[in-house]
This record gives sequence, C-alpha cells and structure tokens, in this order.
Amino acid sequence: MNASRKGTHPARKTPTGPLVVVCAGGGGVGKTTTSAALALALARQGRSTLIVTIDPARRLAGAMGVPISDEVTQVALPETYGRLFALMPDPRRSLGTFIDDLFVDEPAAKAHLLENRLYVGLSDAAAGVHELVAMNLIASATARGQFEVVVIDTAPSRHAIDFVTYPSRLAALLGGRTVAWLSGIAERAADRQTSAGVLAWGAGRVESLLARVTGPNLVSDTASLFGDLARVRERFVSLTERAADLLLGPRTAYVLVVAPTAAARDDAVYLHKRLDKLGRKPRAIVMNRADSWAPEASLALRGMPNLPTSLLEAITILDAERSDRLEAAGAFAADLAIALPKLAIVKLPLVDAVAPDDVMAALAIAIAPHVATLLP
Amino acid sequence: MKSAALSAAVLVMGKGGVGKTTVAASLAVLGAETLGRAAFVEFGDGQAGRRALAGSHRNVEHIVIRPSEALQRGAVPLFGSSLLAKLALGNFAMRPLLAAAPAIRELAMLESVRQLVSERPGVRVVVDMPATGHSVAWLRVPRQGRDFLGSGPLFEMCDRIARELVAPGKASIVVVTLPERLVIEETVELCTAIANETGMQVDRIVVNRCHVSLPAAALAEARAIAEQRGVASVAARALVGVLTAREAASREGVASLQALHLENHTIWRIPLAPSDPSARRVASWLRAEGAR
Repeated sequence: MNASRKGTHPARKTPTGPLVVVCAGGGGVGKTTTSAALALALARQGRSTLIVTIDPARRLAGAMGVPISDEVTQVALPETYGRLFALMPDPRRSLGTFIDDLFVDEPAAKAHLLENRLYVGLSDAAAGVHELVAMNLIASATARGQFEVVVIDTAPSRHAIDFVTYPSRLAALLGGRTVAWLSGIAERAADRQTSAGVLAWGAGRVESLLARVTGPNLVSDTASLFGDLARVRERFVSLTERAADLLLGPRTAYVLVVAPTAAARDDAVYLHKRLDKLGRKPRAIVMNRADSWAPEASLALRGMPNLPTSLLEAITILDAERSDRLEAAGAFAADLAIALPKLAIVKLPLVDAVAPDDVMAALAIAIAPHVATLLP
Repeated sequence: MKSAALSAAVLVMGKGGVGKTTVAASLAVLGAETLGRAAFVEFGDGQAGRRALAGSHRNVEHIVIRPSEALQRGAVPLFGSSLLAKLALGNFAMRPLLAAAPAIRELAMLESVRQLVSERPGVRVVVDMPATGHSVAWLRVPRQGRDFLGSGPLFEMCDRIARELVAPGKASIVVVTLPERLVIEETVELCTAIANETGMQVDRIVVNRCHVSLPAAALAEARAIAEQRGVASVAARALVGVLTAREAASREGVASLQALHLENHTIWRIPLAPSDPSARRVASWLRAEGAR
C-alpha cells in the first residue's frame, strides 16, 4: 500500500482550496524568515495569506505578535496591507493532540496506551507526528475557506518532507503481520504473568531470542503499544491522507531555500531528489545572503572630499564583504545550475538589521517582484 | 573543568546550519596534530565530512555510520553472533518495527560510537552529532533504557553506553553556536537540557561566524554626514542603518555570550568566512583560541 506513495503520486482531487507554497531547506539558511517575508509580500498584494511555521522560534512568533499555539491568529498589520494570519503549533504538545485525535472513539485503548511505559519514555522521539498534526491543523483551518494562499515553513532539515511517507509506513506496519505477531506475544504474556512464563512463550526462535535479549518488559510493552495503535488504524490512515492531500495536491508548490554554502546545496539536491520520488518538482530556489550593503552608497561616500579615515575603513570592510559575498553567491548559483538545471533562482540580499520584523519587512520588499515565480 | 583537556570521545552538538560538521572535523584535525591520530565520526552519507576534511591531516580517519550498519554492529554483542543477529534483524516482523522505532536506531548508533572509541585507545574520536533537540534525546536513550529494562543483554548494552560513553570524564561535549540572540538562546536551553537530562556538562562552546568589528568612530561620523544636505546624506543614511544593526548585533552577541560565561564555559570564537572554510583552516583559528 505504501507503493502508491512512491513514483508518481496519483493526482489528488479537489482543484479548489488555497494555493499552498511549501518552503523546504536545511538548517541555518534563513528559511523561517524568508517564508514569513513571502507571506507578508502576498498579504501586501491583497491576498489573504496564512503562514504556518512547523518549528516556530519564539522570537519570530514574538516579533509577529503571534502565540505559539494550535490556533490561527491574525497578524496585526497597518491598514493598507492585506490580511495575514499565522499558525505556529507547539511541537511539544503535538503528540498529545495527535493521540486525542486518533483515539477519539477509543477512550479505553487511549487510557491503556498512556499508561504504557514505552509510550511515556519514547513520546518525544515520535518522528513525523508533529508535522502530521500541523498538516491536519492546516487542513481544518483552510476548510473554512478564508485563505487564498498558505505558506508552510517546514522543519529545518533535509528530512523535513520525509514525514509524508513516514506515517504511511507506520500505517502499513499497523496493518501488517508485525502487529498480529506482537499482539500474539502480548496475549500470551498476559496469560502467564511470571517472567519464567514469558521466556517460555517462545513459539518461534526469533520470539524467544528477542525475549532473551530485551527482557520481558520491552517485548510485552511494545506488543501492547502496537496493539493499541492497531485499534485506530483506519483513523490513522485518514489523518495521513489528509496531510498527503494538502502536500501533494495540484495546488501545492515547493520552494527550496538555500544560502551560499556547500551544506545548503547538498540539502537542496537531496530534497530535490526526495520530491522527485514523490512526483513533484520545485518551482524555484530562493537563495538568501546573495548580496549585501548597497554599492551605490559606497560610491557616493567614497566620492566625498575629506572622508574621515574610520568611515573609509568601515566602507572598505563592507565593500570587501560584499564582493566576497557576490563571488560566493555567483559560484554557488553556477554550481546549482549544474546540479539542478532548469530551476529558477531567486536571489535575496543579506539584511543588516537586528529585529526579526525589520528583517522580514526588508525581505518582503525584495521578494515581492518574484511572487509569481514562487506560486503554484 | 575550564582548563581540562578534551576527553578521548568528543561529542559535537548544535542546531543545524551553524557549522557543526566543520567544527567537529577541525577538532579531529587538532586531535591528530596533538595526539598523532584522530577519528571523525559522521552519521549519514559522509558527504559533509569528506568536504570539510578535504586536504586535511592524513592521520584523521573518517568514519561514516549508516543506520543499517549500526543496527548490525550493535546487535552482534546482543545476540551473541552475527548469524543470530542477522536472523533476528531480518525477521519479517522485526524489519518494519525497526524502521518505525527511532530509539532503537539511536541506541545502535551510540553503541557503534562506544565500540569505535574502545577499539581506538589513545585516539581522539570526534562525533558530529545530529541537530539539537534530537541529539539530547539521543543521549537520554541509554539511561532511559537502563531504567526501563532492568535486566538482560539490552539492559547491559544501555548500561555500558551510559557508563563508558555518555558519562562525565568519558566524553566531552562541545556545542557550536552563532553570535545571534536567537541561536544563543537555544544554546543556553541546550546546555541546560544536557545538564538536567544526561548528567553531563558542556565542556566548550564554539561561537562560529563572528563578524569583523568595524571602527568604533564610524557610526557617529556617518550620522553627522547623514544630517547634512547633499547626495552623500542618502548614502550615509544607508551606512548608518548597516552600522547600527552591526553594533546592536555585536552588543547583543556580547550580552548573550556573557550569559554563557556565567556558567563558566570556555568559549572559542571563529571568524566569519565568505565561503565554507576547510577543517584545516578552522583548526588553525581554534588553535589561536587555545584549543588543542
């Protein structure tokens, strides 16, 4: 069943709903700020826009006046701007939200799961769950139809979109022989409560081998964990399909965000490959830090008579930084054009500002002329 | 603790995009220069490490650990033989289970590191750990497993890792950060989480990409020109914007670093480079900061 996720994903139905732009990229490339700037630029063009930050930084949330929560909040903008909304779900709360949602019709199984020591110990290692929760929050928010565009800022990792396939793998696991096998172990373990009995259940060689290696606790807790999850398998599958509809639908476009470093290039190439496997092609690459301080300002100041030495020194340093930056960005763009041919590259400058809202506002101006390139 | 040398195992942590891999590789280069031999351990495909280590000391061994190999490696002592380990890992029910259970892979990778360190006495083994939140969870796994399992070979493996690798004096933790408020805030959180959740302390903090300082008088002079009339005033205003931001950023960087100093950490600084610096280059900067 997860074979359908590979290769070309079947075109999803419903060509209605908002346009979705998914911004993906490695860490440290300025992806969150760029995504927010794109959303701001869209709002300024009069489109009602929702920005979703999967891995929200408190400082950006603070700068936008948005709480980190599962609720959509309108961002306060001057009246001349359009409407911008933000959704910044808290990763630490998402597993609880997910379990509530998953077990909505199975309260007894939920209570049983929450007591499982394995669940308690591993709850923060549940990869992909937060993304899945976020996608379902977006799906619920967009169902009300108030957004024209949704910009999704994914987690800063080359594995950021892997969760599209992860839940289906887990769903396959829950429906497969593994769970039946584990449930058998759990039932037999429940029949014989002593640990000597546990070692005796070894119906098969692997089973007894495992029990010997891990001790009785792990096997029976794992078995009971998967037994509980298997009860809500259908609900699980429907939640993952809702996420896939949003991410793989015809109105969704991907944008790769990079900075001129080799690590960012590798991440972009990797993500491109992952998207290709899902039958998707990115719309464009956005390159941050491709330029900096204004050359015309430098020229004008250098033309001044009696320019103070410390000013000349500062300008010289900034000019040298800019020329290094342009050179690195140029080489990087050439390199990218070879690795990922026929992909538009949108270059954005490094913004010398400290407050995140200042950086965002400056980047929104820089990104505005390229909006058509980035939208699906 | 401040002046203590790095342990045989060095775990390098930090959020993505801060230059963690390059710093880790450069610590391996320094280790090879000081001790004669070093190993650089990387999880994944080995691409980032190969690039950083290009042209480096020939006594740096580059080790790439892939998840599947780690599972195999970690399972052998558990099952007693590689044949039994293969049988168990290849089982129809085990394969999807292993694919879906993150903690097992993490444990296997840590066990691989433990084995690598114990096989290389007198060699500095530097590990490029995965990005932030995740890697603290990694370091918690052996203790959690030990408390949870109570007995058996898997319990013993967790116990071994908790005693021989993730333990004070056995491994040094180096955290890489940037001179930006947000990143420093996350670094402080990371240091606290490491202390509270793993029982270890952060030994060194590396602040990467520190801006070159601009002449102190330049801002006031640019402001004076900005207030005059003429073409230059527009240009000067642009310069005031840049200099103000740089000054605020550096002030903020200093304040955030002071917050870290309060916890008595040794801090090493690396200057901002226009493009990716090699591990060798970074090693020379770190040496100037007192790193060995």
